Amino acid sequence: MNLELLTYPVIVGQFFVDGLGRGLMYGLMGMGLALIFGIMGLINFAHGAFFMIGTYLMYTVAVQLGLPFPIGIIAAAVGLFCFGALLERGLISPLRRFMGENWLVDGYVMTIGLLIVLENLALIIMGPRGHGISSLVGGRTSLFGVMVTYERILVLVAAIVISGGLWALLRFTNIGRAIRATSEYPEAAMALGIDTRRIYTITFALGSALIGAVGGLLLSTYMAHPSIGSDVLLKSFIVVIVGGLGNVWGAMIAGILLGLVESYAQGIASAGWQNSIVSAIVILVLIFRPGGLFTKATTRP
Amino acid sequence: MKFSPIWSYIGGLAALAVLLVVPAVASNNYVVAVFTSILLFFILAALFDFNLGYLNIFNFGIAGFMALGAYTSALLSYHYGISPWYGLFAGGISTLILGFIAGVITLRLRGIYIGLTTLFLAEFVLFALSNFRDYTRGASGLDVSTFPDLFGISFDRNNPLALYYVLVVICVIIYSALHLIVRSRLGLIFRSIRDDQLGASVLGFDVVRYKLINFSVASFFIGVVGAFYGNYIGILVPTPQEFGISRTTEILTIAYIGGRGTLWGSLLGAFALIGLQEGFRIADEWRLVLYGAFLVFVLMVFPQGLAGGVKQLAHWCQTKFSKRARLDSVDSNNSQTKIRKDR
Repeated sequence: MNLELLTYPVIVGQFFVDGLGRGLMYGLMGMGLALIFGIMGLINFAHGAFFMIGTYLMYTVAVQLGLPFPIGIIAAAVGLFCFGALLERGLISPLRRFMGENWLVDGYVMTIGLLIVLENLALIIMGPRGHGISSLVGGRTSLFGVMVTYERILVLVAAIVISGGLWALLRFTNIGRAIRATSEYPEAAMALGIDTRRIYTITFALGSALIGAVGGLLLSTYMAHPSIGSDVLLKSFIVVIVGGLGNVWGAMIAGILLGLVESYAQGIASAGWQNSIVSAIVILVLIFRPGGLFTKATTRP
Repeated sequence: MKFSPIWSYIGGLAALAVLLVVPAVASNNYVVAVFTSILLFFILAALFDFNLGYLNIFNFGIAGFMALGAYTSALLSYHYGISPWYGLFAGGISTLILGFIAGVITLRLRGIYIGLTTLFLAEFVLFALSNFRDYTRGASGLDVSTFPDLFGISFDRNNPLALYYVLVVICVIIYSALHLIVRSRLGLIFRSIRDDQLGASVLGFDVVRYKLINFSVASFFIGVVGAFYGNYIGILVPTPQEFGISRTTEILTIAYIGGRGTLWGSLLGAFALIGLQEGFRIADEWRLVLYGAFLVFVLMVFPQGLAGGVKQLAHWCQTKFSKRARLDSVDSNNSQTKIRKDR
């Protein structure tokens, strides 16, 4: 414990900026998971594996083919969108039809199976060596003595663009309205002529595309590696639990909170303990506010 | 679709005989190691299934519970010189306490929250074990002392057959306990809660209390198995491969392939998966691919698992034989009537 560090404003500010940068990443990771859970009720354990595929797509397009990095991110998003749609149509949708109303437990066990397959296939195909890049945009600037890299600013912009885009999509487009209607009351949505099966496919693909794009975006922090997904999965779970299962905006705020807690905990306590602190916080949230910190009371039929 | 009880006893005794005799006859360390790992996975999957298949409690932290049991036993003998034989109980008690606390805080919640809470409890245990380096030796690994001699028999790790028989005894005790619970009135209440929680609570059953009983019993036994496992492998390192999410996945895959809601199905699952993996000498990186693919396959095509297959086979045999018996009796009736007509 070295609490006297907290008496220097520059260090406190540096912790804040680091924590904010990390937190935005965690928030971005959690959003796809929260979207899929919020609409379908399914906990997607393969979330981290999707992130891993995103990083590999980004690496292939942006580094091996040498194309500019926005194209890499788009490729990761499009690739994962198609992959997610295929998986939903091929595996999850049939399971939902076979199992009837209690398909959810089997659904998440199925995604565990997917996670294991994808992770180990990646290990066999791509090898155990990690592939990364040093940064998407180099350089840094100094604000009141606090170091801010351009990479962090890029993540901030991306977080605003992606969450704003998702918000607009869900809020203003027809497909977004259909998604929200399906999540609130599937039977009524069906009665109004919404093809809920198609909506589920689109939602799953959208959530996958989101995490794929985030994987591409964060390639400089999380290099492409077969087991990179397990850390991402854990962080996304934490964010989604603290923010409230299925609450997309709660995930973003919880991500920022988590980043700040980690950053300060790492500064004050010795290395390694931040994980214990964070999992203790998650357990406390699960005990006292299982609906998450930012959830309004909702009624579900 | 039920066996007559006599057949299930014969099946059980036959399985026990195979488990007792084959490793002794083979007297080959490799065969003993394979059987040990089959039994370990069998009993863990049965405990997992005792939670999942009978009460829909998803213990996603089973590997972390195991780690706690193993470390409790190992630390007690490492720091205080307590015999690992008592350590088996100590490991069970420690996980019983963890399971009881976890149960009190989570079992009133919906299924998915129980799964997530146990997952994070296990992560917490694992992080704590690797962070208390001075006490647990963290990532450098903790040496576990061997079981001291008993009745003049050495239970050293150089004598794996003796250790294997210890495991057989543990498994028989645990399995009988679970079987008795499942067959008792308690087991009926468990199943009624699983099938209709609201209905059961309307009938006056305290759902949370029964879930707590179920979860605590399973937690205790997981700790015992964990303590044995620590003694068996000889060195404990809190890695995710050993005590994390991938170990949990292996256990739950075996439980699912064996068939949910049937304790003995786990033995089929363990035999099938570990036998397959040893029989084909599958390289380590393909092993987990196989597990995952099997899991998806079973869920999609064969949700009842191997046990469901065996049950269907038994049902088919029964109807077939009984049909033949009925046809025989019809034939004899016909022939009798014929005879009567001839008269």
